[in-house]
Amino acid sequence: MTPGKQDATQISPIWNWKITSTCAVLLLLIGLAAVSFGPINISFEKILRTLLGVHGGLVGRERTVLLDLRLPRALLAALVGAALATSGAVYQSVFRNPLADPYLLGAASGAGLGATIAITNAHGNVYSLLPIFSFVGGTLAVLTSFFISGRFFAEPQSLLLSGIAVGSFATAIQTYLQQRHSASLRPVYSWILGELTVANWKIVTWSSIYILMALAILISISKQLDGLMLSDEESFSLGINPNRLRIIAVAAATLATATAVSASGLIGFVGIVVPHLIRGITHRVTNRNLLTIALAGAGFLVLADLGARTLLSPAELPIGVITAFVGAPFFLVVLRRRRSEA
Amino acid sequence: MIQVKNLELSISGKKILSDISFSVLDGMWSCLVGPNGAGKTTLLKVLLGSAPYSGSVTSDGFEVFGNHKRNVAFVPQQPRIPQGMTVAEYVMLGRAKKDGWGNESAKSRSFVAEILGITNLFGMHRQMVSHLSGGEMQRTLIARALAQEPELILLDEPTSALDLHHQIEVLNNLQYIQQRGVTIVSTMHDITLAAMYAQRLIVMQGGRLLVEGAAHEIIHSAELRTAFDNRISVFTLDSGRPVVIARKDEGSN
Repeated sequence: MTPGKQDATQISPIWNWKITSTCAVLLLLIGLAAVSFGPINISFEKILRTLLGVHGGLVGRERTVLLDLRLPRALLAALVGAALATSGAVYQSVFRNPLADPYLLGAASGAGLGATIAITNAHGNVYSLLPIFSFVGGTLAVLTSFFISGRFFAEPQSLLLSGIAVGSFATAIQTYLQQRHSASLRPVYSWILGELTVANWKIVTWSSIYILMALAILISISKQLDGLMLSDEESFSLGINPNRLRIIAVAAATLATATAVSASGLIGFVGIVVPHLIRGITHRVTNRNLLTIALAGAGFLVLADLGARTLLSPAELPIGVITAFVGAPFFLVVLRRRRSEA
Repeated sequence: MIQVKNLELSISGKKILSDISFSVLDGMWSCLVGPNGAGKTTLLKVLLGSAPYSGSVTSDGFEVFGNHKRNVAFVPQQPRIPQGMTVAEYVMLGRAKKDGWGNESAKSRSFVAEILGITNLFGMHRQMVSHLSGGEMQRTLIARALAQEPELILLDEPTSALDLHHQIEVLNNLQYIQQRGVTIVSTMHDITLAAMYAQRLIVMQGGRLLVEGAAHEIIHSAELRTAFDNRISVFTLDSGRPVVIARKDEGSN
């Protein structure tokens, strides 16, 4: 077959803008629903008028519910969902392992330990210290995993195993600290279960700084991550310094994960389900869809939080229960579909 | 031209390459031959610039190690095959250095389409690389290397996992490239095919270079037989083409 010009233009679709735009629109709609529904239902029109600052917006209690409770909570859920989903996709690319997620490599457990140390030794405002402690804990855990696995990035399986070991060790220390500081047992425990009830503008502000910075870095290098799916020699021949790129990717993904964990506790399943869901829809390598994955992760977690708040209203379910309850069966459907396609 | 002088390379205290000196001539196909463990793949990595060494390996007067400015394509023996990437996307990776990562010019798309045609891949450009057969994957790897418009292509055992039909197909593809001025350095276990396609043979054993020179001369050299512990015999067919076969019993001809 002789390739013509028309054929040439059909070769390489990079971004599937239809899917990316659909995810963005869905995120906005889910976000609108999340700030609308609850013990007090607020109409979409009033929400939009209030957010746009035009005449006829909310006043009094409803305004407080929207602006001080639901909006920061929805934004935090979106940030955390985007961070976990994108980090998961990046870890899967970097370690060439479809099951890699921040939790497997010990980053989340390390971040959890860091946050527990901050909470159990808190003097004053603990939330300003949480991201620093979480980030240091998460980074140390990932570095320890690399150190134990012996060969830097070369053996993904041994790296994952050492990540599991380091994660278990960090969790053991975390449990020990919890037991020793029984006064802080409750806040630590509720943090571990994963919660967004603590969301306020201060947490949203510092979380957004770290997470958006990490996401910007990851999305900017997303195409180069294609090169990491090849051997190091091939990457080198394509102009990539593979180890330097891996360090940048893992550092940014760890920053996003550690911030997400410090803001909302340990919320499972997002890092694996969302990248695979988007990959199942687009049939493309995950790192080519990082923006879509970030938007889908945000939408997924805002929706999960809406479910956590409203399903047993006025009681709340831990959000991790919702993500696993919805995510696990959905994940199996996607896996089954991919297998039948293969 | 690449000039290798007194090249030494050790990994964890073990010498992998010792005292190697030779030149890679521009526009020629040079083939590294020798038994397993001779250091052929490591030498390819040195020529690529990704493996640290002592001694001197220069391309146009500059040391090659860590030099990303050179345009060298590398085709590994066992490629890592990414999931969820089409043949066209995989080949398009070869344009990353020309266009910059994340940018794909219309010219590149057109060029890649042309390469897919040359390598008989155009009909399958939408297929996932994870679904390709061994021969198709090898052609895809070569297509990606071609997309780089490289000055030098390094290939590690490009025919090792292929049947004879596909071996010839891949080697013909490489010959086509070489005849258009691209320098090729490859490793190959099949010395008969190596001498058939390459102009130069470089014979290695135990990390050392035993002899190098014109393929039609080297194939009859004593050093080549020495490299394989005299367990090969070289015959010349009526057509004048040399054939290398393994000897069953040591000492017999």
